[in-house]
Amino acid sequence: MSAALIGIAALALYGAAEAFSIVSLRKGSEALSRWTTVLLVSGMVVHFAALQVRARKLHSVPYRDLSDSMSFFAWMIAVTYVFLFFRHRERSTGPFLIPLVILFQTISLATRPATLPARKELSGALFAFHVTMAILGYAALSLSFILALLYLVQNRQLRTRRTGLLFSRLPALDVLDRMEHTAVAVGVSALAVSLTLGMVWAQKNWGTVWDAKLGATLLVLIVYAVALFSGPLGLKGKKTAFVSIFGFSLVLFSYTVVNLFVSKGHVFR
Amino acid sequence: MIAPMESPLVLVGWDFRRTPISIRERLAFTPDSIREALAHITRQGVLSEGVIVSTCNRSEIYGVGATADVEEAVTEFIAGFHRLPKPDILGSRYGLSGPDAVRHLFRVAAGLESLVLGEDQILAQVREALRVASAAGATRSVLHRLFQQACAAGKRVRSETGVGKRATSIPGVALELARKVYEDIDKRSFLIVGAGDIAAIFYDLLIGRGARSIDVVNRSFDRAQALTSRGGTPRRWEELGSRLPHADVVVCATSSPQPLFGAAEASAALSARRGRPVLFLDLGVPRNIHESVSSVENAFLYAVDDLKEMAARNLADREKDIPKAEAILDEEIGDFLSWYGSLAVVPTVTSLRRRFERVREEEFDRQLSRFEHVSPEDREKIRLVAQSMVRSLLRHPTTALKDESDPVRRVERAEAIRHVFGLEDDAE
Repeated sequence: MSAALIGIAALALYGAAEAFSIVSLRKGSEALSRWTTVLLVSGMVVHFAALQVRARKLHSVPYRDLSDSMSFFAWMIAVTYVFLFFRHRERSTGPFLIPLVILFQTISLATRPATLPARKELSGALFAFHVTMAILGYAALSLSFILALLYLVQNRQLRTRRTGLLFSRLPALDVLDRMEHTAVAVGVSALAVSLTLGMVWAQKNWGTVWDAKLGATLLVLIVYAVALFSGPLGLKGKKTAFVSIFGFSLVLFSYTVVNLFVSKGHVFR
Repeated sequence: MIAPMESPLVLVGWDFRRTPISIRERLAFTPDSIREALAHITRQGVLSEGVIVSTCNRSEIYGVGATADVEEAVTEFIAGFHRLPKPDILGSRYGLSGPDAVRHLFRVAAGLESLVLGEDQILAQVREALRVASAAGATRSVLHRLFQQACAAGKRVRSETGVGKRATSIPGVALELARKVYEDIDKRSFLIVGAGDIAAIFYDLLIGRGARSIDVVNRSFDRAQALTSRGGTPRRWEELGSRLPHADVVVCATSSPQPLFGAAEASAALSARRGRPVLFLDLGVPRNIHESVSSVENAFLYAVDDLKEMAARNLADREKDIPKAEAILDEEIGDFLSWYGSLAVVPTVTSLRRRFERVREEEFDRQLSRFEHVSPEDREKIRLVAQSMVRSLLRHPTTALKDESDPVRRVERAEAIRHVFGLEDDAE
C-alpha cells in the first residue's frame, strides 16, 4: 500500500480521536475519553507505518520536501501529545491539541508532489538526527503554545467568574502550567540537541557554523529558557504563558521568514 | 411484565417533604434499632423480608408482605416500636406497593428524591441499609435483588448524567473552585480566617479531603486552637499578614464589619509568591476581603454571592438532566420488574414446560436419527411415550409451586426452579 493511502487512514483515525475527545469533553465521559486515547495511539501507529513506507522509498528519514516534513511534524506532535497525556494523566486538553496533528497531516497529504524529492546531499545519520530533533522540538513547542493559550483562557474564566461548561471541563491552572512546562522542556532540549548537531554538520559540509537559522534558533531557545526557568527567576502563571506565546511567534518567524528568505540551508527547494 | 401478586412488595415511609422534623427524629433508626425492628417485624409475621432506610431526611421500610393489608400492619408496628400514637404518624405516612414502591426506591438511590437533588450520600446509605438487613438475616431473594439493582441504577445515574455532578452547596462550590486552581488540594496550603460555624464547616471539608497544611487565624486564639484539634496550626491574629504569602487558598469567614485586607496586602503576598495564583474565598457578610483584590494579577476573588450564584447555576444544570436520569431508571426498573414478574407461578411454570418440551424435541430428533430401521408408526409411539414422561416429570414441581400457600416461599420456590433449570433468561 502507498504511503499516501496509509497516511489517509492515519488522518481518519486522528479525526475519529478528535470527534471522541470533543464528545467526551462535552459529556464528561471517562469511557469515551479512553476511546480517544485508543484511536489516537492507533492513528500514531498507522502514521508511523506510512512514514516507514516513505522512508524505505527515499532511503532516508522523510523530511526532504514540505509534504514529507509536515507529515513527520504531525506525527511528532501526536507522539509528544501522547507523552504529555501519559505524563500528566490529563485527557481534557485533547480537543484543543489533536487538531494540530490533523492540520499538519492534512497539509502534508494535500501538498504531496508526484515526484520524489532529490536532494542527495541532505543525507547521513548526523543530518537525519539533526532534522528529527528539530521537528520534535517544534512539535513540542507548538503544543506548549496551545497549552499556554488554554492557561490564559482558564485564568480569564476564573478571574471573570465565568464558570460554565468549558471551565468545569478544562483542567486546573496548575495542571495546564505543568503540562506547558513539560512541553517546553521537551522542545528546548530537542532544539538544543538539533542545534549542536546542525553546527557540527555545517562545519563539516559548509566549512562554517554560521547560518541565519542558527541565530533565530538561539533566540527561540533563550526565550523558552526564560519560560522554563521562570519559576526561580520570578515569572509564574500568566507571565510564563505570555513568554511561551511570544516564543512560539519566534518559532513561526524562524520557520517561515528565516527559512524562506534568509537562511541558505533551510529552505525546501 | 407482571409483578407477582403472590409476593406483595410494599413500602411504608416518612420523608422531609411530608413529615415535620419533630416526628422524623422520633421515627429515626440507629443500626442497632434497625436490627431489632427487623427481627421483630419478621418474627411477628408482618413481613417476610425487610430493609429499613433511615437517614435524617427519611425513614422507609421496604418489605415483602406476608399478610393482607401489609401497609397498615407495618404502620402499626412502627408506631409501637417507636412508642408513638399511630394517628400522629398516619397523616404524613406514604405507602406504595408493587412497581410504585420499586420506582420510589430507585429514585431515592439516584438522589432524585433527596433534599439536594442528586446528592451523593444517599446511595451509600441505601447500600448500607441493605448490608445491615442482610447481616440481620432479614433479606431474601426479592429485596436483595431490588436493592442491589437500585444501587446499580443510582451509580449509573451519577456516572452517566449530570444529576450528581457539580457542587450545589457553598462549601462544595468553593472546593470545586479551589480544584480549578490547584488540582491536588490535599497538598496545598490553606489559610482559614475565623473560627465560627462557617469556618468550621470549611475546616471539616478540608480535613475530609486530606488537606494537611491548614492555618487557622482567629482573633481569639483559644477558638483557633479548639478548631484545629484534628490537624492544622492555630495562629494568632497578628500573624495574618505574614501567613498570607504561604496560602494557596485563603478562606475568610469572620463577622468583621471592615474588610480585613485589600489589594495592597494581596499584591505584597502575591509578589512574595512570585505570582503563584491564590484563590481568595470571602464567606463573610459583610465582606471580609476588599473587592480591589480581584484586580491583583493571579489573585482570584470569590465572595459569598458569587458562590451562591454558582451553586444555583449548578443546581439548575442538575435539574436539566432529570429526564436523562429517569430514562436510565426506567430501563433499570424494567429489568428488575421483568425478573420479579418471572418469579410468579404462571411464567415459571410456562418457562419450565417450554424448557422440558424443547429438550424432549431435541433429544427425540437426535436419538431417533441414529436408528434408521425404526418405522414411522414406532416413531409416533416413542414420541407419545416421551411426551407422557415429560408430563409426569412436570406434574410434581408444578403442583408444589401452585399449592404453596406462603407467598414468600412460593416466590422462593419459583426462583429455585428457575435457577436449577437455568430459566433465568426466560423472563417474559
